[in-house]
Amino acid sequence: MEVIRNFPDSELVENLKSGQRMDESIKAIYRSHFESLCWYVMNNSGSRQDAEDIFQEVVVNFIDMVQKDKFRGESTIKTFLFSLNRYTWLNELKRRGRAMTREEKYERGQERVEMDTSHLIADREGKSEVLRIVGELGETCRKILLLFYYENMSMKEILDVTDYETEQVVRNKKYKCLKQLEQMIMERPFLKETLKNLLHG
Amino acid sequence: MDNSTHNDPERLVQYLDGELQGSDKEKMEQQLAVDALLKQQYESLLLTRESIHYFGLKEKVAGLHSQMMKELAAPVAKLNPARRMLRYAASVAAAILLVAGLFFAYTFFTLSPDKIYSANYKRFELSTTRDGGAGETASEKAYRAGNYKEVVRIHDADEDHTPKGEFLCGVAALELNDNGKAIKCFNEVLDANKNTAEKILNDEAEYYLTLSYIRNQEYDKALSLMNKIKDDKEHVYHERVSGKLLRQVKMLTWR
Repeated sequence: MEVIRNFPDSELVENLKSGQRMDESIKAIYRSHFESLCWYVMNNSGSRQDAEDIFQEVVVNFIDMVQKDKFRGESTIKTFLFSLNRYTWLNELKRRGRAMTREEKYERGQERVEMDTSHLIADREGKSEVLRIVGELGETCRKILLLFYYENMSMKEILDVTDYETEQVVRNKKYKCLKQLEQMIMERPFLKETLKNLLHG
Repeated sequence: MDNSTHNDPERLVQYLDGELQGSDKEKMEQQLAVDALLKQQYESLLLTRESIHYFGLKEKVAGLHSQMMKELAAPVAKLNPARRMLRYAASVAAAILLVAGLFFAYTFFTLSPDKIYSANYKRFELSTTRDGGAGETASEKAYRAGNYKEVVRIHDADEDHTPKGEFLCGVAALELNDNGKAIKCFNEVLDANKNTAEKILNDEAEYYLTLSYIRNQEYDKALSLMNKIKDDKEHVYHERVSGKLLRQVKMLTWR
C-alpha cells in the first residue's frame, strides 16, 4: 500500500531539483493543490476537463522553473501555483475568445491578424509544438534521447535496457538521433524562440 | 579561427554531454568564446536538448496525472447560477455598504460644532423703519451699524433691558464669539416672555440659543430645544431644524 506523504515547501523544492522522490513529490502537489486550483477554473467558465488540463500544464511548468532555479521561494508554492494557474487559464480563455472572434470575422470576410496578447499565448502553442516534434521522432530515437538527457542514464545503463550490442553502437545511435531532432527543430524557426524561452527564461 | 571543430560536430556533442575533459574541454571553451558560428551550433544543440528535457518532464507528469485524476475523482463544487448570482449580489451589497461606511466615517470625523454653526447661522436682520431710524433704540442703532461691543455694553449697563435689547445682545455676543454671553442674553429673552401674553422674539431667541449651545458644545441642551422647535409646526424656525441637523448634532454627542 502506498504511503501518502506531505512535504514542506523546502523539501518539495529540493526533491524536484534533485529528481529524488520525484513521483512522490508530484503526487503531493496534486493532493495539496489540485482541488483549489480546479475550483478556480471551474468557477471561471471552465469545465472539469479544462481544470485538469490546465493543472497538468501548471505542474510541468512549475517543475521546469524549479529545476532551472527560477522559483526562489519568495512566495509559498501554493501562492505560486495559484498565480501560474490563473495566468494559464486566463490566457486560454483569451485564446478561445480570439479563436471565436477570428471565426466570426472570417464569416464576415474581414479576417485580420491580431497581435494584442498573442505573444503570451504563442509560448503555450510553441510548447505544444515542441512536444509534437519530439513525439514525431521514431520510438527508438526518442527512448535513447530520453534515457540519456532526461533520465541522466549512462551509455552502459542504456545498453542494459536496450537491445544494442555495444556502448559505441548506442553512442552512435544517440548522436544520429540528436542531430535528426536538431534538424527538425531548426526547420521551424519559431520553435527556436519557444525553446530559448524555456532554456533562458 | 580553427575550423576543425566545425568539421567534427561529434566533439561539440561530447562537450554538450560533459564528456570532454582537461585540455580538450578548455580548448573547446576557448573556441566557443571567439567563434560565433561554433557558438551558434552549440546553442542549437542546447535547444535540442531542452526539447528532450521538456518532453520527458511532460511525459513524467502525464503518467502520474491520469493516476492522480482517478484518486482525486471526487467532484469539485461548482457554484450553480443561483448561488453565483447570490454571490454577485452579496459582493455588490458589500461594496455599497463599504462606500456608505466610508462616507459615514468621513462625515463623522470631519464634523465639528463650528462647521454646523456656520452652516446654520445667519445674522439677524432688523426690519427697516419708515421714520428713517428716528424711533430706534440705541441698541438697534449700534446693531444696525455692526457695533456689537456697543450693543453688549448697552445691555450690561442696564440701559436697554427690553426683550429686543436682550435678543440683540445675544446675537451681538454670537458675532463676537462669546457663547456664554449669548446664552445668557437669549435665556433672558425667554425668561421675560414666560409671564407675558405677547412673546417678543421668542422663536428667534430659541433658534439662536440652539446655535449658541451647539457652538458651546452643550449638545443635550441644543437637542432638547431643537426637538421642541421640530415638534412645533407653527414655530418660525420649524423648517430650519431639519432631520439632517438633528442627526449631525447627535453624532457630535458620540465623540
